Amino acid sequence: MIRRREIVAAISVAVVWMNAACGERDGAADRAALGAPHGEPTPDIARAKSDSGVLTLETTRNATLQPGALQTVYAAPVDNWQGPGSQPFEVALRTVDPTTALSRRFGTITMRTSLRVRAPDLGQYPCTSCHLGRRMVLADKRVVGAHENIQTAHPVQTGGACATCHAAGNVEFLALKSGERVTLDHTYRLCAQCHFAQAEAWAGGAHGKRLDGWQGRRVLMGCADCHDPHKPAIEPRIPFRAPRLERIRGRDQ
Amino acid sequence: MSTARTPEPVAVTDDGSMLQKRVDRRRALAILLGGAAAASQAMSACAPLTTMSDEEREMKLLAWREYIKGNYRVMTEAERAETIARLERIAKIKQGADVTIQSTGAQPGVVFGYAFNISKCKGFRSCVEACINENNLDRRAATQYIRIFEMEDGIVDLDHADATFQHEVPAQGHFYMGTQCFQCADPPCVKVCPVGATWQEPDGITVIDYDWCIGCRYCMAACPYWARRFNWSAPEVPVAELNPNQHYLGNRERKVGVVEKCHFCIHRTRQGRLPACAEACPTGARVFGNLLDPSSEIRWVLANKRVFRLKEDLKTEPRFWYFTD
Repeated sequence: MIRRREIVAAISVAVVWMNAACGERDGAADRAALGAPHGEPTPDIARAKSDSGVLTLETTRNATLQPGALQTVYAAPVDNWQGPGSQPFEVALRTVDPTTALSRRFGTITMRTSLRVRAPDLGQYPCTSCHLGRRMVLADKRVVGAHENIQTAHPVQTGGACATCHAAGNVEFLALKSGERVTLDHTYRLCAQCHFAQAEAWAGGAHGKRLDGWQGRRVLMGCADCHDPHKPAIEPRIPFRAPRLERIRGRDQ
Repeated sequence: MSTARTPEPVAVTDDGSMLQKRVDRRRALAILLGGAAAASQAMSACAPLTTMSDEEREMKLLAWREYIKGNYRVMTEAERAETIARLERIAKIKQGADVTIQSTGAQPGVVFGYAFNISKCKGFRSCVEACINENNLDRRAATQYIRIFEMEDGIVDLDHADATFQHEVPAQGHFYMGTQCFQCADPPCVKVCPVGATWQEPDGITVIDYDWCIGCRYCMAACPYWARRFNWSAPEVPVAELNPNQHYLGNRERKVGVVEKCHFCIHRTRQGRLPACAEACPTGARVFGNLLDPSSEIRWVLANKRVFRLKEDLKTEPRFWYFTD
């Protein structure tokens, strides 16, 4: 975290904005409403502070999906689009299995599921344990940096406002433009509102990834399994080592 | 323990006339020299002064039997099982590795096809890394099956492409195009092989019998896509990094002086899994599937995207398409 301070600052601004935008309560009222149970940060909240970021690979290196393990992947049918050959398909759900809930590797892809656990089953850190009354208002102002990894750079058109995608009244849902609410598992419905061409290609198989194999059950990874929804562009990086080609550039050794 | 084998009628499969001889040179040698080998085996067993350990002796015998075995295509199922058992034992003795070598055949009704999205590839070479690990590629010579070419936007010009880029990617104004073996439907490499060591399987994968290849490299000259790699030295893979899930026609140990190439991860794809490169791609640029299945992703890409193939005018009919978003 090189830019931790900047990020914290950005998040603080965002939180302030949220408080204002959602206009539910001010901080003093929050604290007043907390009462005794939230008077002191609970161990869970304290842990949430350090764990809420995207987990490092070290934690999950051994959680590789083995052949045939697709059976254990939670998936939900997708009824908005049809796959190739008009075949129905499924989208991978996040799991609350503590060994896999945080981050799970598929080949060399890591599904960063730290905060995108299936909302209704969110067992470990329900949003409401920090966010008061399911609103995006922070319950305990002593919890700082809980979402410090979030950089709201998307969508650029709205300046990355939280309520562009998140349901303003309930942090556990995403809000479509139609007013319909969807769980965090079905982000593709939200994304497809703007990225309809990508959604079609995704359903067809030209965009995104299919889990496990080319045969059998077709389970696709959701949008947010590869793209950080707050910063969806894939970051530039230094590639894996170049081939040794001595005689002719670009041709065989 | 006699190693002399009675010549059995060789199962005549297809084209190669050199495979149809009832007693070929190799088999005749086996019969002539098998007795000698057995004799020397017996002698060394009886000689307590010999410096050979049991394992060394077993290794010699295994190597000899491996030397006189037939082309994979004309082996019976029993012979295939025997050679696989020998190869697994050799890996155990040489490296202490417990490898499993499959001889899984092609699935009926399956022909593999691949599509590569040049608007998505960002040149990270994650596919290359996965391929090296999956296919036990020579770490010493740093063999890579996949080439990622960096080209300036606007034209597919492989003569001015750079496959050795090593800077932060994607570079401004450039695009990336990956090549590997395209598993051509009319493969020129197969036509030129003088010994029938490389052939096309029913699911479209062109494979190599590494124990039959004589290393003449004609196939490398014939391939218009630079897909084949030659082992100038014996490939070295640290045992800790060895992938024990192997296929006879795929990622098993190669020898010095033989040609190898991409085989669409035959040990994975014949079991319904994706090739390692497709699974590893972090941008989703790689699409793999069954060309004969109308409900496969690859068919959707071919039907809905603008696709082209590399050097299509050569009529090699690659089963590898490029497409854009």
